[in-house]
Amino acid sequence: MSALTPTRPQPARSPLKAALYALLAALVVTGGLALWPVLAGPAASRTWLAWCCGTAAVVVSVLLAATVYAFRTAARHRARLADVEAAAGRLADETLPALVTRLRDGASVDTALGHTPMPETAAHRRIVETLATEVGRGERMRAAAMSACASAAGRVQALATSMLADLREMEHRHGEEVLGDLLKLDHSTAQAGRLADSIAVLTGARSGRRWNKPITMESILRGAMGRISAYRRIRLHSSSTAAVAGHAAEGVMHALAEIMDNATSFSPPTSTVHVYVEETQAGVVISVEDSGLVMTETALRRAEAAVSAKELDLMSLSGTRLGLAVVGCLAGKHGLTVSFRPSARGGTGVVVLIPQQLISQQPARRPGGTGRTGGHEAPATSLRAAHDLQDREVHERDVPELPAARERGAAAGSRDVRGTTAAPAVREATDPRPTVPDRDAGTARDGGASRGPDDPHDRSTPHRDAPDVPAPRGAGPAPATEYGPSGLPKRRRGQTLAGAPIPQNPPATGRTRSRSHEESAARLRSFRRAVQGEAPPARPTTPEEAPKDDPR
Amino acid sequence: MSPLGPDDDPDRLYTVTGGRSRATGGAFDLVTLIVAECEPAPGMQSEHVRILELARRPTAVVELSAALRLPVSVVRILLTDLLDTGRITARHPRTPARAELPEPDLLKEVLDALHRL
Repeated sequence: MSALTPTRPQPARSPLKAALYALLAALVVTGGLALWPVLAGPAASRTWLAWCCGTAAVVVSVLLAATVYAFRTAARHRARLADVEAAAGRLADETLPALVTRLRDGASVDTALGHTPMPETAAHRRIVETLATEVGRGERMRAAAMSACASAAGRVQALATSMLADLREMEHRHGEEVLGDLLKLDHSTAQAGRLADSIAVLTGARSGRRWNKPITMESILRGAMGRISAYRRIRLHSSSTAAVAGHAAEGVMHALAEIMDNATSFSPPTSTVHVYVEETQAGVVISVEDSGLVMTETALRRAEAAVSAKELDLMSLSGTRLGLAVVGCLAGKHGLTVSFRPSARGGTGVVVLIPQQLISQQPARRPGGTGRTGGHEAPATSLRAAHDLQDREVHERDVPELPAARERGAAAGSRDVRGTTAAPAVREATDPRPTVPDRDAGTARDGGASRGPDDPHDRSTPHRDAPDVPAPRGAGPAPATEYGPSGLPKRRRGQTLAGAPIPQNPPATGRTRSRSHEESAARLRSFRRAVQGEAPPARPTTPEEAPKDDPR
Repeated sequence: MSPLGPDDDPDRLYTVTGGRSRATGGAFDLVTLIVAECEPAPGMQSEHVRILELARRPTAVVELSAALRLPVSVVRILLTDLLDTGRITARHPRTPARAELPEPDLLKEVLDALHRL
């Protein structure tokens, strides 16, 4: 209490002083009053009267002074009490919350204490220090537990990813007898991976893996489907050609997997869950509709709150129902909008909006086509395949007889077939040569090479006619060929792709098949000559010369 | 052959086949020629679309498998679906007659040339 004294404004007068003043004043007044009856009274009883009046005056004065003293003291105590209350209020309302916020934001105990205005009272200061220590320890424990969880989850994720890769490789390697078992293992591993992903998301670690290419909607949905146990009950209704940007694809897939998992676990085990995809102005809308339990209004609101919470509240988690919290985290991270509504099918519908900035459209393979391209054709893949193609074209065109060109073409072709499924399609789109993708590798230059792939004139002819019309390169209204300082023709960047035809017919395979054996052997002979250096050395060719260099 | 790596696709094979691991009926072997009977329709599974596009000319099952980067057994399941809905027909290649086979000399020459490469 004494410690408080300096902080509050000193009262004008201490209670004792005030009491003394009051006593003096009272003595003067009562003394004056007492004098009057003494003087006015009969002389005989004057002494007795004086004693009586004097005593009364003194008693009254003392009482008065005591009263003043009591009042003063009470006022002083009241003021002191108010001060203490205000200080406690400040401590509770300002100091401690600021301190706890600092500690929660990751500041150390000393830093947080240094930045907090310390209260004047020693007791309050002790409170602040104790609290800071305890909260700091709690935060450190929480952070340690989180990071332990996160790193464990990360290891499980890595393990699951590599197991999935191994399993995929085994599925390719082994036959039908073990495929069923491998698929079962694959499925379990994918689910384990999702669980690890969930823990990673909740502990704030980064998500499992990143895709370095946009992932088509079909793959997204199937990737999500593959991570839940009851994937057979999911029915996809999608004709979208959109693709989700690689960095967000994993998150979107995971969020959808959690939503699908909820939908399948809260609906009868015999019912199906329908997934619809719709492209809108704002992005791609995916609705997951089950025919299970109808969520009550309160439950819907709670679910919405769970997925739209700005900050994850770990206390709201229960061991078995992590799904919505995970969806909320992922939605916040990638800007997804998730809403719940009663479904027309009788259950609950979840609508996920993937914002436009995460969406890229697949290049349409043919205008007015099927409206759906191969699920594996991500633009990045196509682009790389197209680069391979361009490289090969350059080689073939510039040094037609160089075996390196041929090998390169073969390598590019085989890599396309093996490495990217998009490649054959791209080749269809850019290469007028009638080939089948995996034959293309071996017979990259079977005469068709005399017609430059970048020759718009030739490109306009349908494929089926192409083999019979070996127009010389550059015969059409081709873009003027530029020549570099070395005398080699220069290809303008992007020219080949820009002028690529849209195939109306499939690659004709008949010609490669119908080639006679003698012809094949003759070609192989010339190839061998070229390899062994018997052929005339490779020289720069102009487009007009190219046909003469044709091995045929 | 390593179809894996960072370019791997996220969808698992059991989602491609809808959980089946075995084709019903043994209509296909590796060299069965597949011919598409119709154009791909919107809303079809992308693998079906690709098969129909690739099989406009007769194409062997194993070639489809290579082009789709899927195991042959998975391609067989997909082909069974298409066959059941009448979108493709399957033809078993006839064994070529003796006269159609290339001369042994020619084969030997090819072999030698390949050895020298």
